[in-house]
Amino acid sequence: MPILTLKFKKNKIADYPMQKGRSITIGRRNNNDIVIENLAVSGHHAKIDAIGDGFVLTDLQSKNGCFVNEQLVTSHWLKHGDVVNIGKHTLVFAYQDGEARPEDAVGQADQTIVMDTNQYRDMANKSNSPSPDPPAEKSQVVGILSYLAGGEGEVTLTKKLTKIGKDASSDIVVSGIGVGQTAVTISIRPNGFYLSHVGGFFKAKVNSESIKDSILLKEFDVIDLGSTKLQFFTKD
Amino acid sequence: MYTIESAGLSDTGKKRKGNEDTLLVDDDIGLYVVADGMGGHRAGEIASQMVVESIRDYIKSFHEGKVTASAPEIADQTLSPAANLVVTGIALSNKVVYEAAKSNDDYNGMGSTVSVLYINDGTLVAANVGDSPIYLIHKGQIETLSVMHTVMAEHAAAHPAEAEQIGAEYQHVLTRAMGTETTVKANICEIPYYNDDKLVISSDGLTDLVSPEEILATATRHPPKIACQTLVETANDRGGTDNITVIVLQVHKHRNSEGKIKNLLSRVSEGFLRRMGARKR
Repeated sequence: MPILTLKFKKNKIADYPMQKGRSITIGRRNNNDIVIENLAVSGHHAKIDAIGDGFVLTDLQSKNGCFVNEQLVTSHWLKHGDVVNIGKHTLVFAYQDGEARPEDAVGQADQTIVMDTNQYRDMANKSNSPSPDPPAEKSQVVGILSYLAGGEGEVTLTKKLTKIGKDASSDIVVSGIGVGQTAVTISIRPNGFYLSHVGGFFKAKVNSESIKDSILLKEFDVIDLGSTKLQFFTKD
Repeated sequence: MYTIESAGLSDTGKKRKGNEDTLLVDDDIGLYVVADGMGGHRAGEIASQMVVESIRDYIKSFHEGKVTASAPEIADQTLSPAANLVVTGIALSNKVVYEAAKSNDDYNGMGSTVSVLYINDGTLVAANVGDSPIYLIHKGQIETLSVMHTVMAEHAAAHPAEAEQIGAEYQHVLTRAMGTETTVKANICEIPYYNDDKLVISSDGLTDLVSPEEILATATRHPPKIACQTLVETANDRGGTDNITVIVLQVHKHRNSEGKIKNLLSRVSEGFLRRMGARKR
């Protein structure tokens, strides 16, 4: 990961290592990641975002502006060795020795192409991956609800959207006063299984907490609705 | 009861000669689509337009009662009728592009990504093929509803330790696309939505230059139209290396409780008046 070195005149003050996926804010106020106490620096002067493999510096409408290699910038992709001027301080952006830099990849195919499975296998082999098979179908995680009360056995969540409620056409029928026709739904999303409130006078509870909107279900969560109690599991 | 405030913007960017992205914002049928086309000699433009038009035509025909339920061989038991409709639309659209690509030398190998949001009463369906992302912004958090069909993402998911070894040149290599094979499998999910939720669909021309956190901040701070303009501007400020397309939606859901209480009160007073009338006789 590259490092930002804060300097004043020729003196180094501190090193700030960048982190992938994390933004860094720079300014006079204490709540910034890099605090520069100087009147030429605005409260929130600039930020550096990690986007993809690169890092971009953006000026936050500061009073005195940001300069990179003595040029005034609003937004700038940082390259190794760039010297950033904020107020009277300098920040030098540098990759560590031997580190891969995104500009080395510039000029390569930036067109979108589709790879067929043979090409993929060749490429995977080149990168010394232990398993040459393309991950065509990710092994799907299966969600299961096990009855603790109000029913027997288990229900496997096969549908993308499972409806739970009083209505007879629900995937899981639950009775009880104040249970909605469709009380809650469970959706299969890229991040996992989400339970969402839909309707009904009494809201469902997950681990005794009333659910007003959506919640990501965790292993062993207990869902309470009307006369029914269900426990959530996953299986590979 | 809900209303969707919508806006969409597509920009060629600063480096490309043409715009091969196509977008659709159709509030009447609740359909929102972004397609990022690829192929030589502007065939990408043709491919993405075909994808968007064929999906829109299919879903519109369904709303107008001209086509009925999904073809049985494509209907999936794990999907609701709305989700099946979207999946069928995508399957048909794929065929259209595939046939066109075969029929003409100029169109050979053309393809497109597609990312669809189909909003109906109660739930929304999010489906995608390729690497144009769909985001849900709910209670200040941004969540990706799409799955990236790229070599990097799929390899990283299966072999997390080796993800770093794949070079940057594979950044835009897709493992699935519209029109490159006879059939295509879209990723699909269906979820309920809540008041104040926001949804964003974009092409990777935006997300290669702007982070999800910035998309979250911009869509939260501004109404859809300004959010689209701001995001496109930011991407262009940072180089505009690809076509930039974005759709921002804001959900305004109105609760039914008001109507229900009024109903209840009128029924009670009606019953009371009736009994009064009966006693007087």
